[in-house]
Amino acid sequence: MLSRRALVIQLPAVALAASWAGRTLAASKRITVGISLPLTGADADDANLIKDGAMLAIDEANAKGGVAGYNIDVMVLDDGTATAGQYDPAQAATNARKMVADDKVVAAIGPQMSGSGKAMAPILSEGNLATITPSSTNPDITDPKFAAQFDPGGKPIYFRTVTTDAFQGPNMANYFAQTLKVKRVYVLDDSGAYGVGMANAFAAQGKKVGMDVLGHDQLDPREADYTTILTKIKGLNPDGLYYGGVAQAGVKLAKQCYDILPKIVKGGGDGMYSSSVLSGAGFPAFANWYATIAAPYVFNQPRVQEWSKRFQAKYGRAPSGYSVTAYDAALVIFDAVKRVAASGKPVTRSAVRDAVQSTRLETLQGMVNFDKNGDIENRVVSVFQVLPQRDPKYPVGDVLHQLRYLGVAPQTA
Amino acid sequence: MVDYTVLLQQVINGVSLGAMYALLAIGFTLVYGILELINFAHFNVFMIGSFFGMWALEALGLSGQSQVLTGLALAGALAFAFAIAMLGSGVLGVAIERIALRPLRGIPGTTGMITTIGVSYILFNVILLAAGADAKNFPNPLPTRRWQVAGAVIDLREVLIWGIALVLMVGLQLFVSRTRLGKAMRATAQDAEAARMMGVDVDRVVVAAFFLGSALAGAAALIFGLYYNYTSFLIGYTAGLRAFTAAVLGGIGSVTGAMVGGLIIGLIETLGGQLIAVRWTDVIIFSILVLVLVFVPSGLFGRAAPTKS
Repeated sequence: MLSRRALVIQLPAVALAASWAGRTLAASKRITVGISLPLTGADADDANLIKDGAMLAIDEANAKGGVAGYNIDVMVLDDGTATAGQYDPAQAATNARKMVADDKVVAAIGPQMSGSGKAMAPILSEGNLATITPSSTNPDITDPKFAAQFDPGGKPIYFRTVTTDAFQGPNMANYFAQTLKVKRVYVLDDSGAYGVGMANAFAAQGKKVGMDVLGHDQLDPREADYTTILTKIKGLNPDGLYYGGVAQAGVKLAKQCYDILPKIVKGGGDGMYSSSVLSGAGFPAFANWYATIAAPYVFNQPRVQEWSKRFQAKYGRAPSGYSVTAYDAALVIFDAVKRVAASGKPVTRSAVRDAVQSTRLETLQGMVNFDKNGDIENRVVSVFQVLPQRDPKYPVGDVLHQLRYLGVAPQTA
Repeated sequence: MVDYTVLLQQVINGVSLGAMYALLAIGFTLVYGILELINFAHFNVFMIGSFFGMWALEALGLSGQSQVLTGLALAGALAFAFAIAMLGSGVLGVAIERIALRPLRGIPGTTGMITTIGVSYILFNVILLAAGADAKNFPNPLPTRRWQVAGAVIDLREVLIWGIALVLMVGLQLFVSRTRLGKAMRATAQDAEAARMMGVDVDRVVVAAFFLGSALAGAAALIFGLYYNYTSFLIGYTAGLRAFTAAVLGGIGSVTGAMVGGLIIGLIETLGGQLIAVRWTDVIIFSILVLVLVFVPSGLFGRAAPTKS
């Protein structure tokens, strides 16, 4: 059990074993980047797309001789467990301790889920280990109001290459009201930290922009039957449904909605911009759902298309929006390591954290720089819609091709 | 204020759920009636049954919900899937009894029950490792056909679920009340030692109970898959726990009790969700379990528990 979870991939080690000559040069200069994602469980597909995004950056850097002379090792940890069936905050906390305990780990990428982030943040904060999340969007984790809970160490350690649900939820509420002309909306969440936050933010803004929020209820992600709640919702005659949550409940919700509420507007956040939901719910059940990501849409740019080709060549499938932000997260870490090394200071986790804080880096998604809490300054929320019919040219779980980009959700003025 | 159309719809949903719980509850009750053993492996026999059903449908080349069959092809595909799911689960149930439980027979106390919990975890993890943790898109070849009844909608799937569940339960009742093996089962349930003295092959009776209970769980599992178009390695837990509650509510050991208990739990789930709140469903169901255990320990249809000699 332990060895499977603590799978440490030391890619360069293989090459080193073959040539002892390089040993003295490279072995003295190695640093590790920790990665904690729910690689098993309901969100495994999306987690692996994120992992591959980060691994692509790391492999490319190592192939070019490392970062500032350092070889990058990776400590890949799984925060999904069988008992949870999806991400498990308790396992995420264990993973955070594992990273903090290893001196070689100078920075981390992850987690995917805010529920895990809430469990990891205090531990990483005590250890002064910066993590860069490519997808966890719950605003509380970086909110100074909750610093006692999530940042007891005092210095921000939770950085994001995506914006937060303080924008994702409300902006989608604006989109529902202004673009899709939804008048009567029902809000559901999946009882997780991310889902509840998203749904609350959506409902609050929804009321402000004049939608009639008929109700807000919670789904138990381990429950199979949502027909009861959906029948209840149907009785209220809504013309829109918003779901804050991730794949485990999302798959079943999409399926049962298709039978009970086939005609109304249905949307979710980045939890529904998901390869796992696409392949689990499939077509026609998931057709026409709206979803968002908390990052700009960049796949129409030539350099990202070129990157996307590299990704496909290596992993045999198309990347997702959060493969991009994961790649960017790795670039942010490399940039920080370079600046620390250039300043002549030893590359320690606290030096790397300070360097990450002052990042100004042009990445795939554009300029990445962080505010004083660790949130990205660029606050774009992109809206997508699942195609009305499956595009048979691509696999069903291909988020890049089975959803189409509609535009940027309107920011609250 | 109360919208009767919605209530009627919830009753329809509740009966469908109840039919599934009832089929699953029978497995608990049959085994308990004969061995006085609560078989927690039953949870995951149900779960694996849904995978047997899914694999059977996939072997016929079906995937997703867009390939629709009608007429004889549909009947054939369903018959094949039910046969595989029920046989597979039945054999699995018998194997569990033969490998894990028979060696422990006669050992007093909770050893057997604890063993079934262990077996349950093994089954759970086998599927997790073999099939992965993601939600599976369960193939469903049923055409979408709906009828309006007083404003509520009845789906072809629901009619089919009720029909199949009814046929299986009536069949089981007939088997238990009319056949020799059924008689032997009833005799063993009343008093295993006396039955043995009268020449009843108790081992055979136990195998029959495990086979029948597990096969019905397999049928319930296929119904589950067709109803929700979904399965995953996790489904055993919630459904199993509710079905167990149904068995206790009806009176564990009583087949009629399991059926009625299943229906009641299904209706409580949907009507409780409608009239109170969905997030209270489990609280309501398990409060009822506690109340039944306190005030009517033998359940609605159960006989007073025999004291063990």
